[in-house]
Amino acid sequence: MAVLEAREIGKEFPGVVALRNVNLALEPGEIHCIVGENGAGKSTLVKILIGFYLPDSGEVIIDGVSASTEPKGFEKISYVPQELNLFQELTVSENLFIPFEKSGFSRTFLTKGQLHRAAHRYLKTFRIATDPNEKVKNLSVSDQQLLQIARAATNRDFKILILDEPTTSLTGEEGTRLFEIIRELKSAGKSILFISHKLEEVFALGDSISVLRNGEKVGESRASVATIPWVIQSMCGAELDFEENCQPQVSPGEVVLDVQNLSGQGFSDVSFTLREGEILGFAGLVGAGRSEIMQTLFGFLPRIAGKATVAGKAWVFNDTHHSVRNGFIYLSEERKLHGIFPYLSLKHNIGITLFPKTVRGGFISAKIESQIIDQIVRQYEIKAVSSDQQIMYLSGGNQQKAIVGRSMYITPKVLVCDEPTKGIDIRTKNYIYHLMKSLAENERLGIILVSSELEELLKCSNRIVTLYAGRQSGEFKADTTTREAILRAMIATNQERDAEA
Amino acid sequence: MQKPDRKSISPAFRLLFGNQLSGIVLALLLIILVASLFSPYFLTPYNISITIRSLAFVGLVSLGQALLLILGDLDLSVGSIAGLCGVIGGKLMVDFHVDPFLSFALALVCGAGCGFLNGLIINALNLNALVVTIGMAGVYGGINLVITTGKAIIGIPQAIRFLGTGDLFGLPFPFVVLVLMLILVYALTMFTPFGRYMYAIGNSRDAAKMLGIRVARIRVICFMLACLLASLAGMLMVARLGSSQPSIGETWVLTSIAAPVIGGIATTGGIGNPAGAIVGAAIIGVIENIIVLFGVSPYWQTVVSGAIVVIAVSLDAVSRWLVRRKKL
Repeated sequence: MAVLEAREIGKEFPGVVALRNVNLALEPGEIHCIVGENGAGKSTLVKILIGFYLPDSGEVIIDGVSASTEPKGFEKISYVPQELNLFQELTVSENLFIPFEKSGFSRTFLTKGQLHRAAHRYLKTFRIATDPNEKVKNLSVSDQQLLQIARAATNRDFKILILDEPTTSLTGEEGTRLFEIIRELKSAGKSILFISHKLEEVFALGDSISVLRNGEKVGESRASVATIPWVIQSMCGAELDFEENCQPQVSPGEVVLDVQNLSGQGFSDVSFTLREGEILGFAGLVGAGRSEIMQTLFGFLPRIAGKATVAGKAWVFNDTHHSVRNGFIYLSEERKLHGIFPYLSLKHNIGITLFPKTVRGGFISAKIESQIIDQIVRQYEIKAVSSDQQIMYLSGGNQQKAIVGRSMYITPKVLVCDEPTKGIDIRTKNYIYHLMKSLAENERLGIILVSSELEELLKCSNRIVTLYAGRQSGEFKADTTTREAILRAMIATNQERDAEA
Repeated sequence: MQKPDRKSISPAFRLLFGNQLSGIVLALLLIILVASLFSPYFLTPYNISITIRSLAFVGLVSLGQALLLILGDLDLSVGSIAGLCGVIGGKLMVDFHVDPFLSFALALVCGAGCGFLNGLIINALNLNALVVTIGMAGVYGGINLVITTGKAIIGIPQAIRFLGTGDLFGLPFPFVVLVLMLILVYALTMFTPFGRYMYAIGNSRDAAKMLGIRVARIRVICFMLACLLASLAGMLMVARLGSSQPSIGETWVLTSIAAPVIGGIATTGGIGNPAGAIVGAAIIGVIENIIVLFGVSPYWQTVVSGAIVVIAVSLDAVSRWLVRRKKL
């Protein structure tokens, strides 16, 4: 008997049918993967399964009992959301066991010692190398992600674990670590519902695969018999060519960005050049300093030493206004924190960069603004109910398109895309690859692509710079290098490699 | 892109019900209706005139505070600044015999200066606006007492008394000033890039910085504007009373935050309409007026205006909950 079952679930929001007659059964000790594009209804389904939303029709059945008659059943489900939501100022062990009633600490008085002793076991199981006494804010993003999953496992009653895109901020190696843990949980008899965009993960991990498209379940299969083309076709409703190369094919022009011996928070002595019309990839593990380098160049983080020139002119640091005015655009990995203005409409989110074109006599012309925005919405295929919709209600992919779209109106020379496809579905991903390519080829932009996905880097970049622990560990031509060479440079510096040899 | 058949709805209907302000405007009208049914004195010209005259002072301060709330900031020293600038203006006119209108203008410059100082300290050292402005409220209030030793400056020249006591187009002069300022602030926030940047900063300071918006500069300018409006309220009050009372502005701070919040401006920043601050101030003003008309002890006024704030915030939370239940 299925441990968790969704029967004929339907859910509607104003203007959108989010789910229509969705059936799903999670068997005991099974890893069931749910895949689908952004807006396919995965998150809505999960929120119904954990009791956050009530379905408009259908019911959720947990251990054979309908959740509408017995809501206590939801306590058997542990849910790990995609975003980090830990208490940053509390310690690792406190984070693990809050709420204490659920994790078995029913006494009124708790000592730190009790918590720490209990924490060690979980830290070991989840391979988090940290002191239980450490504040969570001092942990790396990937350790926080694992801690969040460990926290879900401290729930005494849990039989079902739901993971929503758990690997978005993990590098390949850390992802492997997570998979081992998930398999251990499975052999301990837990059932796991795994939501992901990454098909490699789904096939590596899953026992069965369900595909959602436009709020409907369009397919289910055992992972052992499913094929990647079948999944992609079910997700998109059409076959897409994903093997295609997206490297710009024009000969690179002048040097637009020349960085010399730059040092800042978390990295030192980094030098590289970027030419017009090329995509330069940056590879490295989380914490290698990729984002920090870009944010320092952009002026968001303080520079410690070094210099740079942009289009031949000496660069001014620590001033994002100057950077943007001089055509240096940085699109942050943290779309929610650094990209969108959540409560503003799609229109105002895009319109914020259009003022040079839309302002007449000091005031914004609503008419001109609407025209340009409608054009951007069409050109970048942004899906929204209307441009007055608050951007927080758009899917991640559509938010990203809006951010890229508005940036193009600043007429950039250098565009830094930090994890531009994080949490974005395959079709939109592909769209963004082609967009970067065409911007490099047609607008002659110099583009820097920072990514944790090696496939993405190899597919899009002309050259790849590797970083290890805040230092440059290599530079490769994408055409002539191998995956292995880059991976090796990502996990050890030249000296260490020489020492090993 | 589909637009739900908006066009079939009449513009008047949309103005009434489709606007984010419509809820509290209706609430204000309802309160006015109830008040006029229960008290024969409420809708008399005299009562209306004193109600909107006193609304003007609190309204100006609330309007300034609304700018800061939209940015995600706030200033708790606006009351002290109003008092201090009133005293400086009065001192210049009475003791130094400076031209009254010039003194008035200089007092406003002082107000903007105080705002500049607040904004600068908060920005340069990246401090919490709440804590800094509580401290600065003490500083400005203290300077006020040092100058006046607690005694009012009397003998404000007749030439400028009309700014506080006079009428223009049959409306109290301070109220006309308020309407004028509302129009300016509304245009600034709604139709200019500066205003859009304000909302952007209120939504996410980091995202604004990432787009190259000059966050620090805009914040300082808004602190200056807010404190300028506060000093304007202070000087108009001096003109109305005919003396610089050191206590001017003492009770304005709570209302200046309550009014925008009632008017739908979130304390967390990034949402709301500055006109809401005036409607919110009007609701508080009318209710205070009702208390007086009904002969309730004036000591109850603070209880009531405090309660209104809590109720308004609760209603806001309930409506947001309703929206979320539908939308997400």
